[in-house]
Amino acid sequence: MTRAGTAQWLLHDVKNRGISAWFLSAVFTAFYLILYFTEGLTPIAQAIGLDGKWTLYGLLYTLAVTVGGIHVIRKYRHNRYQVVRTVAVIFVQATFAFSIPHLLKFFHQPEYYLSYFWPLKMEYLTPSYIFSLPLPFILYSFLGSALLVPVLGAFFGKRWYCSWVCGCGGLANTFGEPWRHLSDKSTTSWKIEKVTVHSVLGISLLLTALMFISYSVGKSNPQLASFTTSFQSFYGLIVSSILAGVVGVGLYPIGGTRIWCRFACPMAALLGLVQKIGRYRIAVKKDMCISCGLCSKYCEMGIDVRAYAQANESFTRASCVGCGLCAEVCPRGVLKLENVSSKDARQSALVQIETFSHRSEILSPFGRK
Amino acid sequence: MNYVIIGNGVAGITSAFALRKRDGAARISVVSGESDYFFSRTALMYAFMDRMNLRDLEPFERKDYDAKRIERVRGWVTNLDASAHNLTLADGRQIAYDRLLLATGSFPNQAAWPGLEYVSSGVVNFVSLQDLEVCERLVPSTHRAVVAGGGLIGVELVECLAHHGVKVDFLVRESWYWPMALAKEEGELIAAHLRGHGIRLHLDDEIAEVSAGADGRVSKVRTSQGKDLPCQLLGICIGVRPAIDWLPGVKTPPALGRGILVTNDFRASLPDVWAAGDCAELPNAQVEQIWYSAQRQGELAAQSMLGDAVDYRPPLFYNSAKFFDIEYTTVGVAGPESFFYRFPGREISLRIMHRDSAVVGFNMLGSRWNHTWFERWILERRSLKEVMSQLHLSQFDVEFGRIPLDGARAAFQAAS
Repeated sequence: MTRAGTAQWLLHDVKNRGISAWFLSAVFTAFYLILYFTEGLTPIAQAIGLDGKWTLYGLLYTLAVTVGGIHVIRKYRHNRYQVVRTVAVIFVQATFAFSIPHLLKFFHQPEYYLSYFWPLKMEYLTPSYIFSLPLPFILYSFLGSALLVPVLGAFFGKRWYCSWVCGCGGLANTFGEPWRHLSDKSTTSWKIEKVTVHSVLGISLLLTALMFISYSVGKSNPQLASFTTSFQSFYGLIVSSILAGVVGVGLYPIGGTRIWCRFACPMAALLGLVQKIGRYRIAVKKDMCISCGLCSKYCEMGIDVRAYAQANESFTRASCVGCGLCAEVCPRGVLKLENVSSKDARQSALVQIETFSHRSEILSPFGRK
Repeated sequence: MNYVIIGNGVAGITSAFALRKRDGAARISVVSGESDYFFSRTALMYAFMDRMNLRDLEPFERKDYDAKRIERVRGWVTNLDASAHNLTLADGRQIAYDRLLLATGSFPNQAAWPGLEYVSSGVVNFVSLQDLEVCERLVPSTHRAVVAGGGLIGVELVECLAHHGVKVDFLVRESWYWPMALAKEEGELIAAHLRGHGIRLHLDDEIAEVSAGADGRVSKVRTSQGKDLPCQLLGICIGVRPAIDWLPGVKTPPALGRGILVTNDFRASLPDVWAAGDCAELPNAQVEQIWYSAQRQGELAAQSMLGDAVDYRPPLFYNSAKFFDIEYTTVGVAGPESFFYRFPGREISLRIMHRDSAVVGFNMLGSRWNHTWFERWILERRSLKEVMSQLHLSQFDVEFGRIPLDGARAAFQAAS
């Protein structure tokens, strides 16, 4: 129920798909449409002394992450994981994703975003672009995508990127905080997510392969080269502009904050596969869950965490971005994010004293593995 | 086989799923007067505080009941005829069963304070969905409330009311909060925390008289210390009792004590009737009335209904709670001696109780612990010294947030 008073009504309305939430969603969507498909923001940017609409966008983005992040740090100040993680998110956004690229540009270097990697940023493995950069950028791009991303993913789960570094995740976890609970928790949307997110990953891999082939043999195959170019711009329009921007942020107040990450991000899909075979998991304390459902409610990725918690199943879900909010809101301290080697996992399994309970068999009948 | 379960709380639903797991062909029906679907009663407060919708309280997707072929019947059972294997609902419907499980849970205790009979509205409990509806209806017109009863439900209701901006007077009969479970130091820690949240906590005090306004709504409470507390809402949270009031009047009542008397395999005194959860009274007058025991009993009662040999002895006690922001974990029993440590400047404490040099119980406030280690140490009769040296193994705090144990260990060294 809501508290009395207009301010309280508005707060509830905007956080729970009320009329004000739909209005806000329309505003965000319109903003992204204007940004991507018109030059409407350029005069505004120039009026305040910026060189163009993308700098204005970067400034607004950084501002949103910072202000939202300060709110999140205050709200969860008793939780060191949330404080440290949110400080990291703000720092990465303010430096790697905003000031450093602009400084690079100022010193006549390429405007390179150190916090983004292929396949989230396709350009960084687009041969015609990346090979035009100075060598350090080429090395960073290749080593980052091929080594840094999967190795850190194997040790810490995808969270090191999705909840600590990535700008999309950063915006979701700061500015998007009021809407994180709106993600759909049904098994149906889980099924849809698995199909869509892996499809986008497949398409991005295909496109990358095509770009390399076209880069090496395109001169003698003009048809292939022109097909690759149109495929590239089609991908850029649908995935990078419409799905990541217009839909991804435009629907924050209606569908929650991680629609893009969950249903379409190729980077999240790739890291999810690494995560499934890596060390990261959410540990569940035995027989302590009261099935309240706060964990599921506040999972921005729509994972029904409660289904595992009430069945005593420690688990790793590919989609989990490791934001740690399930553990934060749990009123009984049942959940804990951790990176375990299999030896450690066996060690902690020893603690499971034999009792009567067979909850994992009885209460997990729905194949939530 | 036709199984019927009365009550769709955690005991009833756990047994329904357990029955289905083992018997794919049986007909399984769950009867409830309270709700269409199982919901988490422990989460009522989060619905009241607008952190969840009612639908969010349901631990299973609704389609799961169809997938598991668990039939849901909405209605209050008014008659039980064990000789005919038959139930009657308030609206006259008849339900036949082969085996019956009574999992009716608890009702809140009521009190007979003078003046209460003239009050027609504004007095609430906080146990059922219907209680939640009443509370939500009353809150917008409530500026001050009195909550009586120093247990877990009481503090939950206090938190909800405070969340809605209501000024709350919280009456606790004892000299510190929840002496049944907490020692004085912990009780005072919680008391200070409640007061920090603006709650007016009255210890050693209870309701002496209740007054109503002209409209019949509660308007004032007079306490035994003579304080007059104006209020528009009075929360009664003075414990719960097995929900068996309806049973003495049925055609074939089962043997009753405080609850429905059952043997160690959850059989009631009637043929083909079992009982489990809050409403069941085990041998030696044991009534377990917490979420965890209801879940455990529901599972075991199902095994017994399926024909397994079951010999239930309540295991080592454990429980958990949260008082506003302070989490609480307890395992085992109180011992004659204990080591207590309060973390300086923080609302964190630990108490490890022991008897004859073996640890017997843990009371932990304000930080997270994996209680399965505590259980193991108690069952292995570990000494306090061993436990103190191994304590870090059981820490379950968030990453970067693990509380340092050096101070506690130094204090233990100094004391021993």
